[in-house]
Amino acid sequence: MNCRECKEHLYEYLDRELTPAVEQDIRQHLEECPPCGEHFDFEKLFLDFLKTRCRVHGAPPELKRRIFDELFGE
Amino acid sequence: MSPPIPPTPASSPATEAEKRASFEREALVHLDSLYRVALRLTGNASEADDLVQETMLKAYRAWHQFQQGTNAKGWLLTILRHAFINEYRRRTRHPETVDIDSIEPFSVFEEVQDNDPQGTFFDRIVDDEVLRAIDQLPEQFRETVVLSDVEGLTYEEIARILEVPVGTVKSRLFRARRLLQQKLYDYAVGMGYIKGSPK
Repeated sequence: MNCRECKEHLYEYLDRELTPAVEQDIRQHLEECPPCGEHFDFEKLFLDFLKTRCRVHGAPPELKRRIFDELFGE
Repeated sequence: MSPPIPPTPASSPATEAEKRASFEREALVHLDSLYRVALRLTGNASEADDLVQETMLKAYRAWHQFQQGTNAKGWLLTILRHAFINEYRRRTRHPETVDIDSIEPFSVFEEVQDNDPQGTFFDRIVDDEVLRAIDQLPEQFRETVVLSDVEGLTYEEIARILEVPVGTVKSRLFRARRLLQQKLYDYAVGMGYIKGSPK
C-alpha cells in the first residue's frame, strides 16, 4: 500500500469501517511511514477532541420530567 | 376437566406496565443522544426540547411497531429527523442552497505539520466555539458529523437514518470534518493560538 491509497482510507480506518485485511495493510503502512503515521494521529486526535467537547451536554432534567409527565401522566 | 387455554396470539398487546417498562429500558435511555442531535439540528434549546418531546411521544405511540432487539437509537433518530424536516426546519433553519459537493476544504494537517503536528491548538478552543463551528456547517454535513462524531453511529446506521447510500455518508463525513477543522483552525489563528494565515 502506498501513501495515497493509505490516505484514501484515512477516516474509514479511524472509524473502524474497514475489513480486517485492509485494516492490517494500513496498520503496516503506518508503522513503516512516519509522515502518514503523524497525519493519522492528528486526525484521530481531532475526532477524539470533537467527541469529548460535544458530549458534555445531555437532555436538561426539566425536559426529562416533561416527557415522563406526558407519556406516563406522572 | 378444565377448558383448553387458548394460545396467546403473537401480536397480543402488552400490558401498559410492560410497554412502559420496555420503553423506559430501550428508548428513554437515548434521551441525551436525541437531545444533542435535536440541539444541533434546530440550533435552539427550546425548539430542541419540543422536538425531543414530540419524538418521544410519537415513538411511544408507535412502540408496538418497533422490533424488540433491533437498534432503538437508530429508530428514534429516524423519527426525530422526520419530525424535524416536516415541522421544524421551515421555522428554524432553511435548507442550504449552496452546492455542497463543490466544497473542497484544504487539509489542516498540511498547514500545521511543521509547527504543531500534534494539534495542541485544539486544546485551547472552548467548547462553545466547537459547537458554533458545527452549527455553521451546511445541514447535510452537520447532521452527518453529529451522528458519527458525537453519537458514534456506524456508516450503515447513518445511511439508514439519512436515507442515503453509504458512499454518500463517507463523502459527506470527509468534507464535513475537513470543513470543521478549517473553521476551528481559522478561529485558532485569529485568536493567536497558532501561527498561520486564515484561508
